[in-house]
Amino acid sequence: MSPPGTSRSSLGTSARLSLSSLRGHKRRFAGTFLAVMLGVAFLAGTLVMGDTLRGSFDTMFGNATRGTDAVVRSADTITTPDDSQGTRQPVKTSLAQKIERTDGVAAAAPAIQGAGQLLGKDGEPIGGEGPPTLAGNWIDDGELNAYRLAEGRAPARSGEVVVNRGAAEAGDLEIGDTTTLRTPGPVEVTIVGLATFGGEDGMAQTTFTGMTLADAEKYLTPKPGEAASIQVRAGPGMSEQELVDALSPVLPGGVEAITGEASAAENTDNISGQFLTLFTGFLLVFSGVALLVATFSIHNTFAIVVAQRTRENALLRALGASRRQVTAATLIEAGVVAMVASVAGLAGGIGIAAGLQRLFPVIGFPFPEGDLVISALSMLLPLAVGIVVCLGSAVLPALRAGRTAPLAALRETALDQSGASRSRAVTGALLALAAVGLSLTGVLVSPSVWLAGAGAVLALAAFVVLGPVASSRAVRVLGAPLDRLRGVTGGLARRNALRSPKRTAATAGALMIGVAVVSLFTVFGASLKATMDQTVNRSFAGDLAISTPGFGAGGSGLSPELAPALAGRPEVATAVGLGKGAAEVEGEGRALTVTDPAPFAESFDLGKVEGSLNGLGTDGIAITREEADKQDLEVGSRARLAFADGQKATFTVRAVYGRSELAGDYVITREAWAPHRMQDADSLVSVTLKDGVSAEDGKAAVTRTAREYGNPDVQTRDAYARSAAGGIDMMLTLVYALLALAVLIALLGIANTLTLAIHERTRELGLLRAVGQTRAQLRAMVRWESVLVAAFGTAGGLVLGGFLGWVLVKASDGATSSAFAFAVPPVQLAVVVLVGLAAGALAGLRPARRAARLDVLRAIATE
Amino acid sequence: MTTATGQPGPGPGPGSGSGPGSGTATRDAARVTDAVKVYGSGDTAVRALDGVSVGFPAGRFTAIMGPSGSGKSTLMHCAAGLDTLTSGSARIGGAELGALDDRRLTLLRRDRVGFVFQAFNLVPTLTVAENITLPMDLAKKRGDRASAEWTDALIDVVGLRDRLHHRPAELSGGQQQRVAVARAFAGRPDVVFADEPTGNLDSRSGEDVLRLLGRAVRQMDRTVVMVTHDPVAAAHADEVVFLADGRLVDTMTDPTADKVLDRLKEFDTTSAAVPGGKGAPS
Repeated sequence: MSPPGTSRSSLGTSARLSLSSLRGHKRRFAGTFLAVMLGVAFLAGTLVMGDTLRGSFDTMFGNATRGTDAVVRSADTITTPDDSQGTRQPVKTSLAQKIERTDGVAAAAPAIQGAGQLLGKDGEPIGGEGPPTLAGNWIDDGELNAYRLAEGRAPARSGEVVVNRGAAEAGDLEIGDTTTLRTPGPVEVTIVGLATFGGEDGMAQTTFTGMTLADAEKYLTPKPGEAASIQVRAGPGMSEQELVDALSPVLPGGVEAITGEASAAENTDNISGQFLTLFTGFLLVFSGVALLVATFSIHNTFAIVVAQRTRENALLRALGASRRQVTAATLIEAGVVAMVASVAGLAGGIGIAAGLQRLFPVIGFPFPEGDLVISALSMLLPLAVGIVVCLGSAVLPALRAGRTAPLAALRETALDQSGASRSRAVTGALLALAAVGLSLTGVLVSPSVWLAGAGAVLALAAFVVLGPVASSRAVRVLGAPLDRLRGVTGGLARRNALRSPKRTAATAGALMIGVAVVSLFTVFGASLKATMDQTVNRSFAGDLAISTPGFGAGGSGLSPELAPALAGRPEVATAVGLGKGAAEVEGEGRALTVTDPAPFAESFDLGKVEGSLNGLGTDGIAITREEADKQDLEVGSRARLAFADGQKATFTVRAVYGRSELAGDYVITREAWAPHRMQDADSLVSVTLKDGVSAEDGKAAVTRTAREYGNPDVQTRDAYARSAAGGIDMMLTLVYALLALAVLIALLGIANTLTLAIHERTRELGLLRAVGQTRAQLRAMVRWESVLVAAFGTAGGLVLGGFLGWVLVKASDGATSSAFAFAVPPVQLAVVVLVGLAAGALAGLRPARRAARLDVLRAIATE
Repeated sequence: MTTATGQPGPGPGPGSGSGPGSGTATRDAARVTDAVKVYGSGDTAVRALDGVSVGFPAGRFTAIMGPSGSGKSTLMHCAAGLDTLTSGSARIGGAELGALDDRRLTLLRRDRVGFVFQAFNLVPTLTVAENITLPMDLAKKRGDRASAEWTDALIDVVGLRDRLHHRPAELSGGQQQRVAVARAFAGRPDVVFADEPTGNLDSRSGEDVLRLLGRAVRQMDRTVVMVTHDPVAAAHADEVVFLADGRLVDTMTDPTADKVLDRLKEFDTTSAAVPGGKGAPS
């Protein structure tokens, strides 16, 4: 072959062989190509879109706050575990005048920020389900105001407001319209102007209502004369940093000044740090799943191609090709496919990002516009991942190709029946045992999500190793009805699926992973719902609930006046509102439940209560058993609380209760919270009806009263339990949409394997046709084989996903304070099974058609 | 008795089973008339069959012989409904194959034709028993007692009762061909076509298979058409038809290996003398 000792030309020979093989068998690699391309495209698309969104937000905030050179605000925040942004103490409005007198300051204006939910023309809240609904004072200094007046005029009298244009459009409101703003008490407002934010119709989907300073102080702050921050503009020739340096000496203690740039960066971080990181992280997980699935498909394709080429490789070896050359030939082939497919995937990824950018506004996510941000990382990473995945999948088959014995050229090509070897069964069983052991330890012994997670990964590995062992048995069982249903066609399909256990397992493996992830989420989602249900059933003793949307930061809460108003109705026995507060308890930021403890204890099942909630007063606090243990507190002990306004107070623990769930971990009275409160709002009002009042009558009465307080939704207990779980369905829908990609790749894998198998079985198919198998029967045979392989993958995925779901739920249950319920949703899982089988039938369509087109004579003449 | 005309032209009328050396009127299980098969087109066109008319009488064992490239396999494929003629007609029983679409052709093969190929006769995933009943299973013709008895008898004839539940891979080549023979006759077809059935076997196994085919014809009143290039195999037939260059050139009744060999030698010299005679492998 090649001249001896020249490795360059020997590799050249390998490359020539690879390229001619690729040219000769383009079709074989179509599936591999598509799998790599889709995976890379998804990954690249995610990265590009993430960068683009981040860039757009940067630009938007930059534009919006360009005129603000410094922001003065209080230095301390209290962050609680659930709220990373934290609660910041207000500053005095009067500080603005002091700052304005400072040298180098051109202008300063107080900025009041609060929550205010606008109602649209139809009386429904605008954008209440997720993004924040903000309200504040309209700053007249155009440079300092992040919003620009686009139409109309600024508010001049009480009751006049400017709203951002996006919100107005969403609520079908126009200048001159009068509507309600919940702050959370209803305020009648007239729209006098429409505003834009950084050139857009709004800050993403956030709604903003700008009021006069007096209105803002009245409705949005607990005390007049306080503002969230003071925006400052520098005089000519002064840099932002110089301004901050000039301001710092005049500021009182506990108040800081930061540059406008830093403030904008913080704002961007709040959005990209939370929303974007979550969003892209989520997508990255799914591109990971897609690529994992692709790995299976690709590996399988190369394994089959190498098996089919045994004779050819053996001939090469007999003619003097070295192992290295034969291995290299296969690897180069894989490399070329990887390169071409990955580059195509990058183009596809940019296309996806561009498409999504167009699509988002259409489906109601007005992301800021901007050019696509294509960084080197978001191109190089998917490229590298694509090539590594493809080459990695080809390594084993390539080594096997190199090991081909020269004599194999003379033998009949033997089918690989090696799947169910003893060592494989033993290794797999050990892995499975380790997985179960680790998971159970993580669930039962020392609850830890990480331990359980490691068990989950091992379980996946065990499934992959055990696949070939299980496949023969499983296909035999799953296919048993086929013989009866479809006669010899079904029987043949079943046996074809049994032919190469390893191949069947690898083909099904791709689908298995997809289905496993789907089932995992389905089970986890159902469990979360069951948990919510259980929580409401167990802890909520009221008959009706009035709550703010359970998902996201939307809404403005409920008016604190609502609960007392309801309590006065003749149909109502008790009505109690729960508000939220925050304080540092013994140095740790904690969320507080602010309520009237006596009716609260009646409306919520608090479990075992030591002490009493009745006499908390202004210096008493009730805490859960768990927190009490953690902080080493008992009934009668003292706890130091530090509030966001800088005040510290010592509270006495008057009660320790067992169950937190809806009640929260710390309870203080409204009176105790009042001096420290921010904007006053309840997040949940529980209503217990008097005996003899039906739920419908009670609901109607309560709804009538609630109408005067901004018309919040009144729900029966059951509806409340359901709505508490509403966000989960949304999440699941998104998950399913994303996993469709993984299923698509798995489908490609099945189709590809079948096509290759049909190529292998050309003579057999010819024989079957010759002795009387009709084209329809042949097609059915191939389709059923495909369905069987898919059924195996689906069954495996279901078991794996179910197990992982159980582990995840139980581990979360053990590792966190909330009690998780485990639930298996039969209907959804049945749908998953049907989709899996349908995917199999679909994957079989094209190979079946191709097989049926086979010319009988050519088939039996094939050597 | 084989009815044959060596040259294109008016062949015997339909139903006329008379031919040289026979006065008995017999029914043809299969026949082709003026069969022309052209592969390719233009300059590269090859006339594999060039106006062949031949009948294969029911209840007889006919061998088709000829040198490589003489068109004997093509003739069999066209007569059996595996391939279509460019012109002319091919019939099995009363059915004109050219008039049938793929589906009906398939059903006809399944119900009325049996096949034994040179190699790869069996579906590797099916057991011996399942391979034998495959055409009937494909037709979903099960439970018929007569056919069950027939199959049972066949299994004894081919001597594979103790191998019924084995896979083809566990059988020797000769055993595999015997299963193929059983499969071919299982549906009691009008005619069984055998394409070089002994080509891949040693002489003893080959002899077994040929004797089986002969027995099926003589004792069970079956019809067999066999393509072979082996004079010894051809000697098992009742009749031999000789093809050369896509034309029917001769027939021979009650052949022996020597007579067939002599006849073949004659061709070799003839075809060497004729320019353009095909010597390419089929």
